[in-house]
Amino acid sequence: MATKVSDKKRARDDWRAGLSEEQLHEILYKLKLCRYFDERIEALYRQGRLPGAIYSGRGQEGTHVGVAYALRKDDSLFPTHRDLSAQLTKGLDLKRVMAQFWGRIDGYTRGRDGNSHIGDWEGNRTWTVMSHLPIAYPPACGAALAYKRRGEDRVAMGICGDGATSNGRWHEALNVSAVYGLPVVWVVNNNRYAYSTPNELEFPVPTIAERAAAYGMPGVRVDGANVLEVFTAAREAVERARSGGGPSLIESVSLRWRGHAGHDPAKYVPKELLEDHMENQDPVSRFEELLRSHDLVDDDHVKRLEERVKDEFEEGYAFALASPFPEAGDVTKGLWVEDGYWRSQPGRGGGTEA
Amino acid sequence: MSAKVEAAAAGHGAEPRGKRSENGEATYLIAIAEALWEEMERDERVFLLGEDIGVYGGAFKVTEGFIERFGPERVMDTPIAEETIVGLALGAAMEGMRPVAEFQYADFMSSGFDMITTALGRYHYRSGVPAPVVLRGPSGGGVRASSFHSFNPEPWFAHAPGLKVICPAFPTDAKGLLKSAIRDDNPCVFLEHKWIYRRIKEVVPEDPDFLVPIGEADVKREGTDVSVIAYGMMVHHALEAAEALARDGIDVEVVDLRSIVPLDTETILSSVAKTSRAVVLYESHRFLGVGAEVTAVIAQEGFESLDAPIVRIAPPNVPVPFSPTLEDAYLPQVADIEDAIRELSAW
Repeated sequence: MATKVSDKKRARDDWRAGLSEEQLHEILYKLKLCRYFDERIEALYRQGRLPGAIYSGRGQEGTHVGVAYALRKDDSLFPTHRDLSAQLTKGLDLKRVMAQFWGRIDGYTRGRDGNSHIGDWEGNRTWTVMSHLPIAYPPACGAALAYKRRGEDRVAMGICGDGATSNGRWHEALNVSAVYGLPVVWVVNNNRYAYSTPNELEFPVPTIAERAAAYGMPGVRVDGANVLEVFTAAREAVERARSGGGPSLIESVSLRWRGHAGHDPAKYVPKELLEDHMENQDPVSRFEELLRSHDLVDDDHVKRLEERVKDEFEEGYAFALASPFPEAGDVTKGLWVEDGYWRSQPGRGGGTEA
Repeated sequence: MSAKVEAAAAGHGAEPRGKRSENGEATYLIAIAEALWEEMERDERVFLLGEDIGVYGGAFKVTEGFIERFGPERVMDTPIAEETIVGLALGAAMEGMRPVAEFQYADFMSSGFDMITTALGRYHYRSGVPAPVVLRGPSGGGVRASSFHSFNPEPWFAHAPGLKVICPAFPTDAKGLLKSAIRDDNPCVFLEHKWIYRRIKEVVPEDPDFLVPIGEADVKREGTDVSVIAYGMMVHHALEAAEALARDGIDVEVVDLRSIVPLDTETILSSVAKTSRAVVLYESHRFLGVGAEVTAVIAQEGFESLDAPIVRIAPPNVPVPFSPTLEDAYLPQVADIEDAIRELSAW
């Protein structure tokens, strides 16, 4: 049965979720970084300075930062294109992320994919995102199977949106993970819209979290605007998985502030709902206010944080534009492992002009 | 019959080699079981997953006896969830395991199609992360199994980048190629022709490191007049036709592709250079089937060798029908092959 997290009470008693001052500052930094990145990338896209597409996760940073912050570096994360903030929280290098957005050789996919269709398996154990959601859910079961089989105390986390819960693979993966008792945490970033389709046309039950009962696993629904509430639920689920307790489901509710992709003005989202969320349910400003109210940050701290984030973005942007495009002659390389392309340094003679 | 062979026949954890016939011959099915067994003995990372492969031993009993020897963790029964079977294999492979997933029929690979073609096939090119997964299943017709148990899906997977596609016709090739596939760092779709399973036997190498390289065709019968390029069950039909034609003085060469991806164009072209006449024979649908590519390769790169038009023999683009008259009309028959070769050799 879905419970509106008993952690709410715990959060009252222990508002900081057992986190150190340094950790709380780190979470604020991640939130600010993800928000700034999202806003600047959209601006560059609208100015025609960014090729390809964008999939904004704005308004959902509480979910992304909250769940990813509960993972260890060697835990694996299987996200979607909406979840770049979770990948940034896991530790992806902003410079290489931006090189990816500009189709450059230093991007994580070496220009073989774009935008947030990104991943860094070797370094941060994140899945290289695909569009066919929730296509990463079954492979998350596979990674978790390997951990369980080898007796490793590692966890796999899958993220998808509310839209993907209508797909058969979501149900297959939840079922299989529970049948085998796999160390998985399933996260649903319920931002209330599957592209333009609202929750009430997606599923006939009040919450996604209560579906967990049918698969024999715990399910909780948390407030995506409250990063510590999300984090607390994620930490509990991760610990359960790590200690052999099997999978859990977390539904984190927020609102998608921007369209499905950069081209979508999202006029189907009621204006009042959006305004209310931006005003009162902003996970970034809410967390900042929380830390301010406990005297853990002040104007000076926030200013320095915002400057740091801006500097990192500018550094990443300059890095991306200076990184060469992949060499056209390498188009067929890297399909087969034995051609060695991915184990060697790629050609850097592609120039910086497309 | 030795005690070992008796135990194996009962399927209680004895190796499949014990199921060979008295003279040491293995069926294609037993050769496949031997390959799986030997690779599981060799490499702890190799495990099997699929529907009813454990206690039941698989729909065709390929993995009979495996669960007793290797246990349920390495011979994993799965729920009926093909997308997730492939996804389990992919995720485990990304973490360094060597999964071999069985489909009860290759027809049901379409139930995992997105995971096979979108995720598994494209993953390494986009990420550099190897996905050493083998997907195996019985394909093909000729056993009166109708539309959903007779399909040849190899063109689908050959068309999807990043998957090696293997279609052996003989027990020795099946064993050597499956072992190569399990050791390969790329995803492989291994299609076992169910008509061949218990029909074709031969003495199969026992060396646990015997391998057949993926991507190399094999000339199964040397000849000088006409080349027949085929794979799977059609290789056996071509060989039968060749024997009949030899009595009339027509010397047919039979090239067995063995692998569809990578396609061994060199062996195809050298055979056509020798005979100057090509019959492209295949069991997947004629329209955009495997033979369409083979034909294009010969037309484009072997044009100067040809003394006659290339002939394609393949089923029409309809579902595999059930009734014997219909299925026989659908599948290329030995007589069809003979007629086509006679006509072509008269050019």
